Amino acid sequence: MRKQFKNTIVDLARHDDSIVVVLGDVSVYLFNDFREKYPDRFFNMGICENTLISVAAGLSSQGFSPFVHTIAPFVTERSLEQIKLDLAYNRFGANIASCGATFDYAWDGATHHCYTDLAILRLIPELEVVQPGSCHELDILLRSQYNNGRPTYFRLSDHPHTVPLDEVAFGKGVLLRDAGAPVTVMTAGPLLGNVMEACAGLKVNIVYFHTLKPIDRELIERFRETKIVVFHDAFGLYEAVQELPDLCVSYHGLPDMFCSFYGTLHDIRKKIGLDPDAIRETVKLKLEQCR
Amino acid sequence: MTPVCKEIRKDILGISKASGHGHIPTCFSVVEIIYAAYDFMSHDPKNPSLKSRDIFVLSKGHAALAHYCVLSRCGYFGIDEVYSFGSFMSRFGCHADRLKVPGIEVSTGSLGHGIGVAVGIAIAFKIRREARRVFVVIGDGESNEGTVWEAVMVAVNLKLNNLIIIYDNNQSHARGLQIQDPTAHFRGFGCAVSETDGHDIGLIQKELGRDSDTVKVIIANTIKGYGCSTLIENQYEWHRKSPNEAEYEILTKELDAETV
Repeated sequence: MRKQFKNTIVDLARHDDSIVVVLGDVSVYLFNDFREKYPDRFFNMGICENTLISVAAGLSSQGFSPFVHTIAPFVTERSLEQIKLDLAYNRFGANIASCGATFDYAWDGATHHCYTDLAILRLIPELEVVQPGSCHELDILLRSQYNNGRPTYFRLSDHPHTVPLDEVAFGKGVLLRDAGAPVTVMTAGPLLGNVMEACAGLKVNIVYFHTLKPIDRELIERFRETKIVVFHDAFGLYEAVQELPDLCVSYHGLPDMFCSFYGTLHDIRKKIGLDPDAIRETVKLKLEQCR
Repeated sequence: MTPVCKEIRKDILGISKASGHGHIPTCFSVVEIIYAAYDFMSHDPKNPSLKSRDIFVLSKGHAALAHYCVLSRCGYFGIDEVYSFGSFMSRFGCHADRLKVPGIEVSTGSLGHGIGVAVGIAIAFKIRREARRVFVVIGDGESNEGTVWEAVMVAVNLKLNNLIIIYDNNQSHARGLQIQDPTAHFRGFGCAVSETDGHDIGLIQKELGRDSDTVKVIIANTIKGYGCSTLIENQYEWHRKSPNEAEYEILTKELDAETV
């Protein structure tokens, strides 16, 4: 997905000289061709995430469309106040594109795991929060949002799903299956691959989100009368769905504890019950409860 | 003290008395600095979004009242409205909002933010090869924040000679984390540093005009509460206090007694 991110930016920059890339000493080699083409608008600014955001705010104030790119926990949890004040409160539009979503850096341990970013950033007024699950989604959402004057968070993952989506539009959820079932599975981002595999042959509705703020309330509303089960390998989607009052929603995702395991994303997903088999069992249980 | 800076201080006292708000001692330490900057900069109060203007950022945002009073003197807005300072519907909050107040370029308040945004603005001017400059005032207490030094490192690395940092050395740091030798600190980070009397407009402007091939830092030695002995001698008590009628009389008399 990082490669798609770079390719989209390089393509956009062909016609837009307002684009500035600000890296936190991450993906530097990947951006070689951007740097060669636009050396004045490429900055590997170093390992100083707070300042990357503040600098982006300053660039934005003068009409540029900056992309800050570095590792998720450091550019979100560490730089929360810069995002809140320098970007959102000041209304300086800029783009933050993180890598290392959730357990993408599983082997690096809890310092590099990041699962609160979406939930926390959703709380900040003026901010758009996007979790593209595939390269296709990322490309469309980057193009539609990058220079709209508002700050936007794009959460990139190294493990995109491969589920084909007919229509991708910012702020709109995707109805993947309306089976008229009493149970609706809702998910976001790359986990969609596991969810689709898990729900093969099961009579459930499936709703997918790549935009967590604003959330597509209209689509959620359509499934008000069903039991909604949120599968998400982060915090944020469950809270977004809960914006609508009086729904019957349950969350299947992260426990309230640090993940003390290493290995791979798939190892950890299996451990916390987000592998296809565990998701399938949970969905089947919900269906049985509705009989 | 110049007559205009004396009048600005009287505005600050009057507004603080009327509103019950105001960090008076810290405002008094930066009156000459802010006035000198606006008197030196390219800007147009009748056209705050003038394309060729220089940019001023008050990173130590709690001196907003001093900033408003200088902007008013420049002609951005009348002083009468500033008397609503800090009230519910006022445009003039105790920390400035760029979306409400003409002439305010960046909303600040939480310390250690404005300088990073200023670095971004300076980079923007460099990308466009514009000769515009960015003036940012930071406090010595504010410089406890690590982001100040991050921003300085980035600015020096990019040789932003269009960025002028004015360090209000009013000894706010003294009761906490102390920076004993700010000149050595900034020099160590690679800045072009000079030191001057932060209450002398002529000397400040001489430093503002000095050529540099990198980030310029002016250590402006100032006194919290400058102009009123009561404030100087009782800084901690007056940090957030606003004067009642009797105190206002004492403070204005002390100001009047200052040699012009």
